[in-house]
Amino acid sequence: MRMKPKNCALLLGAAAVSLATTMGLAKAETEITLWSHWADHDTKVAFVEKAAKNFEAKNPGVKVKITWYQKNSLYAALKVALSAGKAPDIFYAEVNQTEYIDNDFLLPLDDLVDWSNIEPWSREVWTFDGKTYGFPLETQTVELYYNKDLLKKLGFDLGEDMQLNQAEFSDLVKKASAEGIATLGQGVGDRPYPGHYFAYQTLLKKIGKEDYGNLLAGRLPYSDPRVVEHLNWVKGLIDAGMYPKSFTTIKLGESHRYFYANPGSVALPMGSWYTSRAFNPVEKGGQPDDFPLGVKRFPAVDGGACNDCKTAAVGGSFVVNADTKHPELAAGLLNEMATPEMGTMWLTTVLVQSGVKGDPSKITGKYKPYFQELTAIGSSSEFFIGLPHQLTKGACGDATVQIMNTAFPAGLISVEDAVKQLDAACHKG
Amino acid sequence: MVALSTPPAVTPWRDRLRQRFSLDPLQIRWNTIMLFLAPALLMYLCFTAYPVLRTFYNSFHNIVPGRSSEFVGFANFVELLTNDAIFWKAVTNTMIWATVEPCLDVGLGLLLAVCLYAKVPGGRIFRMLWFTPVLLSYVVVGILWMWIYNYDWGILNALLRLVGLDSWAHTWTGDPRTALWALIATQLWMWIGFNMVVCLAALSALPSEVLEAAELDNCGWFKKLIFIMIPMIRPTLLNLLSLAFIGKMRIFDLVWIMTGGGPLWSTETVATYVYKRAFAWNTFDLGYPSAVASVWFVVVLTFVLILHTALRQRQKLEY
Repeated sequence: MRMKPKNCALLLGAAAVSLATTMGLAKAETEITLWSHWADHDTKVAFVEKAAKNFEAKNPGVKVKITWYQKNSLYAALKVALSAGKAPDIFYAEVNQTEYIDNDFLLPLDDLVDWSNIEPWSREVWTFDGKTYGFPLETQTVELYYNKDLLKKLGFDLGEDMQLNQAEFSDLVKKASAEGIATLGQGVGDRPYPGHYFAYQTLLKKIGKEDYGNLLAGRLPYSDPRVVEHLNWVKGLIDAGMYPKSFTTIKLGESHRYFYANPGSVALPMGSWYTSRAFNPVEKGGQPDDFPLGVKRFPAVDGGACNDCKTAAVGGSFVVNADTKHPELAAGLLNEMATPEMGTMWLTTVLVQSGVKGDPSKITGKYKPYFQELTAIGSSSEFFIGLPHQLTKGACGDATVQIMNTAFPAGLISVEDAVKQLDAACHKG
Repeated sequence: MVALSTPPAVTPWRDRLRQRFSLDPLQIRWNTIMLFLAPALLMYLCFTAYPVLRTFYNSFHNIVPGRSSEFVGFANFVELLTNDAIFWKAVTNTMIWATVEPCLDVGLGLLLAVCLYAKVPGGRIFRMLWFTPVLLSYVVVGILWMWIYNYDWGILNALLRLVGLDSWAHTWTGDPRTALWALIATQLWMWIGFNMVVCLAALSALPSEVLEAAELDNCGWFKKLIFIMIPMIRPTLLNLLSLAFIGKMRIFDLVWIMTGGGPLWSTETVATYVYKRAFAWNTFDLGYPSAVASVWFVVVLTFVLILHTALRQRQKLEY
């Protein structure tokens, strides 16, 4: 069938008009794209969407398009998109992903973001070579959650400093094991970090912040006598039944249930984001309303260089693509999250710390006592910034995960072998 | 009355083309062939040939996105072959998997096929039950077997406890001594039905005269199986073995879902290691993982050629 020249001209004209209209619309509406983890974290989704809505209201003609992912899918998508130059304007990142900075994928935010309402330490974590690359939305401390009733039942009283000493903790593990109870209801079935919490947090107390930093940076060997002595103590606890027998296969969510429901454990070392899951309604996987949750310090170790030390870390953050065509708008969206009101919204709805300053006094109701305890412990602590799996990379990162997260706490490897393999992968001589 | 006239002669389009462009018929035929081949060829070049060649190219470079890649010669290969303990662990695991499981796959598949061939009661139901796992995806199978292997409430440990073997209850995928074998058993469960169906088809196609002649010679079932049936379906068995071997050399999905290569790299395979180095080690460099992939491609190709040659020689000997 042949088209008449007149019809052809009409069709071309219509196409040109439609193209022009589309282009005109595109010009009228600028789109800021954001890819984020937290697809199944309702309160975090609500927080970011609220910020986007506020931003759109203040910037007519600008639309924010958010795509929610699970973390692994997001990372895989970003690797491809960044390499192909197709990444979004803003995306979720964590501080250990320095490869983004090494490859010039991130825009320095120093002059774009309003830092006045951001915790300085959390900004510092994202600062490399004098430039700040990330917006530290989620922060965490590593805590030792415990079942108040169970601890009491086993005959232990924490006292005012909320901390057992080394001998008391060893005794607790023995007593709990005798009762058929795991002291720490932990599992590493689907995560590269929960298994190393106890060993590393107590090691931090043993050798202090500076040497602990050196150890993770490969400047101090694991064969250091203090480290070996400490690992031998932890090994003794592991052999005494500190962890569940199914430790290697229990997944994160299952370990939470293991702790507060079935079969129940005395304690659970976990990032302080634990409550963003545990304080959900029971039908959404939260702990029972009447669960006697407490938070205590990791045990003080004999001859510890810093028994008040604990780890703080920046978790989920947002970064801006260096290739974005709208750096000011992208930063504007981040600024929308950085207001005191939004900081308070994060605290009161997500129930986890944030790099954005909020007002914790606004937290009321049944969770208030928990946050008071958390604040009390935090106020008398010295912080080391960064988690081992965030601070180690490549072969050392892999060895840290395989050995300190899994094999060592599972009792699959001796202290001697663990030290040898970790030094081979991590120690820079 | 309408005068009948000779219809105008229709020149075939090939002749018209030939006249117009002075092309010979052979050339036109080639053009036609290429026209039809082009889409498939283009797909092959874009999605198979180019990625393979690019992987080889990458393996000699440090690849940094947004910058020109840096030629490093054989450095990645030297590092890989002389200084990478995890790679060798992955190679060992993969080789164990690729040699042990095909034998079990084919052996047990044949055994089940013989059962069905012998018309055991309920054969149709068994055939369906044994074949069903083949239809499941690795994700489903992985999750299913994670439940089965669960230390606290998994059916395997529950059964052991039920019969009084409490001390045998074990974290099957959490212990380096048992994790690889637990995964092999899982894949065996999945693929045994496929081997059974292929063997059953081969057995059903055997000429009945030969089997009847054997029966007349008082040949029992076992001897008939060993000396007549298996030799006659040998090409099928060898093909199954080589296909299974190639599949196991590239195993990734099941490991990734069930253990992620752990604990202590006891289930690390070359494929999971390549993925980890490419996407999980906080680096954008694709040079080193490309070197691992290239080495493994050559290894698999060599084995395939050896198997192919061995198969052909056997068949030649038969004739």
